[in-house]
Amino acid sequence: MTVNNTIAHQRLILSGDRERFKELLRRRLIECGWRDQVRMLCRDVVKENESNQVTFDMLVTRVTPRARALVPDTVKKELLQKIKTHLLTQKDQ
Amino acid sequence: MNPIASELSMNDLNNKFFEIMQDEGVAEEATNFIYESVFDDVTVGFLFEFHHGLKTGLTELIEGEKEEEDVYKIVNSPECDVFGFSILKKTPDSNCSCPNCERPVSATRFAPHLEKCMGMGRNSSRIASRRIASNSREPTSYAGLLSDDEDDADWAGGSLQNERRKRRIKNNNNRKPNKLHNGNSRNNNGNSNSDANDGGATYETMTANEKKNLLLQICGVVSEHTKKLCTRSTRCPQHTEDQRRALRNSVLEPSTPESASMGAAADEAGSPPDSSPSSSCSSSSRKRDRHKAPPKINKRNKEPANRD
Repeated sequence: MTVNNTIAHQRLILSGDRERFKELLRRRLIECGWRDQVRMLCRDVVKENESNQVTFDMLVTRVTPRARALVPDTVKKELLQKIKTHLLTQKDQ
Repeated sequence: MNPIASELSMNDLNNKFFEIMQDEGVAEEATNFIYESVFDDVTVGFLFEFHHGLKTGLTELIEGEKEEEDVYKIVNSPECDVFGFSILKKTPDSNCSCPNCERPVSATRFAPHLEKCMGMGRNSSRIASRRIASNSREPTSYAGLLSDDEDDADWAGGSLQNERRKRRIKNNNNRKPNKLHNGNSRNNNGNSNSDANDGGATYETMTANEKKNLLLQICGVVSEHTKKLCTRSTRCPQHTEDQRRALRNSVLEPSTPESASMGAAADEAGSPPDSSPSSSCSSSSRKRDRHKAPPKINKRNKEPANRD
């Protein structure tokens, strides 16, 4: 299963379409205000650890789970739909 | 996995890819996997951005210090206004207690209160002295029955003062008859009735000329309740022009039955002529009521002490 995933992923990278999807997701997340919400989460983390240094790892472990939940369903659905159709239309070539 | 993938040539990868994409479920799973991977990349990208901003101080420069919103919040509570200040005018520390009546008085009202309570100032001194006079008059008439702990010297002084007060009150009486309400003034009745100016207020004892002069200056309408003259100006708002005209007609006509009966009624009342309308009566009585209040409060203040 993971091999299949890797194959599909690998092919997407090679075709350069992954970069396209990434840019699309990035733009969508900025549009819907998700980035600002994540920024607030980051601020909270910084505030909580005012005494000691905030490391990047700390940010990732603290913020990523909450950020994942904050992604709007519409954005997620759109991305999934696009990737899937892309994958399925590839085989016809 | 990676070794496998790396071992595959581009051609093999394509073939394998088309092979696995035949299965819808595999495509679905691959989609989720790719989405998660892409999402992680994007998130990490944003986090890098933030971390970079944080470490270089860019974030603070761009966004500035976060404002304290609590300071500008509209306060919505019944005891405060929108700024959170108390709307209660009187704060406990602004209350002074009057040295005379020991009532708590707001600092802003302290001076006027003292004026009234202790009788300083022009009008208030009259009121206060009358009040004191009325309080001390009773004891003087029963001087023989008084207890021994009262100082004789004080009484002599008190009666002297009383005389002075009487005189002053009489003067007031002549100037402004409507200021007289006190029982004290009854003592002066004999004198004041002989006074031409005073007696004039009844219209009966006045000469025609005096009446005329008086009515040129004052309203002069006789009140129904007090049977007294209105001493306000000829344009006084309490009485109508018609009332004034009717009165002038009746008064300036010599020996009309109405004026005669009027005068008789005023004499019968036995009090010195008081031309004030009921309003001045009530106002002065109100003042006296206010002055009577303090002793009650004092008593209340003392009660706890007694109980202790």
